[in-house]
Amino acid sequence: MPSGIFHRITKKSFGQYKRYQIYFLVLGGLLVGACSSTSVVLVPDPDGKVGEVSVSTAGGETILSQAGESAEATSAESAPSRSGTLSDQEIGEMFSAALANEPLPPKRYLFYFEFDSASLRPDAEPKTSEIDRDLKARAVCEISVIGHSDRTGEANYNRSLSLRRADAVAGLLVKQGVPQECIDIRYYGESDPLIPTRDGVPEPRNRRVEVEVR
Amino acid sequence: MRIPVLFGGLLALFSIQAPAVDQSAGSIKTYQPTAVIARDRTEQSVQIGGPVHAGDTIITGANGAVGIMFQDGSVLSLGPDTEFLIEEFLFEPDVANVSFLTRLSHGTASFLSGAIGRISPSSVKFKTPDAILGLRGTKVLIKVD
Repeated sequence: MPSGIFHRITKKSFGQYKRYQIYFLVLGGLLVGACSSTSVVLVPDPDGKVGEVSVSTAGGETILSQAGESAEATSAESAPSRSGTLSDQEIGEMFSAALANEPLPPKRYLFYFEFDSASLRPDAEPKTSEIDRDLKARAVCEISVIGHSDRTGEANYNRSLSLRRADAVAGLLVKQGVPQECIDIRYYGESDPLIPTRDGVPEPRNRRVEVEVR
Repeated sequence: MRIPVLFGGLLALFSIQAPAVDQSAGSIKTYQPTAVIARDRTEQSVQIGGPVHAGDTIITGANGAVGIMFQDGSVLSLGPDTEFLIEEFLFEPDVANVSFLTRLSHGTASFLSGAIGRISPSSVKFKTPDAILGLRGTKVLIKVD
């Protein structure tokens, strides 16, 4: 004697069987409804600059490029739809906790150097006390000192030159009272220029150390 | 002579730990309970100043929030009831080896892109169950229901 739900279903009247089908359809609909949706809002960065964000699915792509512009994707198959420009109040309501708990954005300071040298340019502003104050305002003491060079000379030589520059700035910061263990020294030689140039071109603005307070 | 030896030992410990900190993807700057980090199949508590690594999933509770500063200067803030995975974080700008892939399964996030976005805009990607977001040097807010 077979038993179980399938056997019982086959014994039910057609109308009742139909009802099971409807239950399954409703259940299926709920599952689809439980699928997620993604909302994206483009906002200005702390300097007021607005970039771009692309929202892509298998069904298409939308690019947002204006402050407050938003898009929504409700499935991976259909194209994302634009959902208008949101007001600050709407944005604040949607993202209140995330916005209220944002860490302070990083702050960058630049130190410029003499040609082929780890000596600061005489016109370089003394910023170490400002950096120290900025660091003390943050919950965690974390600072990157990143050395760079321009593209005159050998790449390998420029790597070590950029390290000497970073060391020089780190030394100034320690003298200012910044704890050594907070400082992370990096050096990229000529490979991360502020002003891109061809090889061999002197560019004073690339002879620099970037200090990033995080 | 015991104290100097112990002190030296502590220093050695710190110098061993230092590279591990450098290899982290970032550090936690703000925290509202509750939240946990799922790492290597264990649950880590969230601490201000603590590291996050590629592979970590950060999960916040009903009133939870976590703010993270990444090594490249990207700033992330997660709201309540959120699940966020750092899929990949590579930041070696000197050899142009950069990548920042993340996945927001549900919840809310505010994200300000950093140096990776400046060096290689196509290398910063946020995935959600519905879409892939490509960030070109910018700040976005993302909500997944």
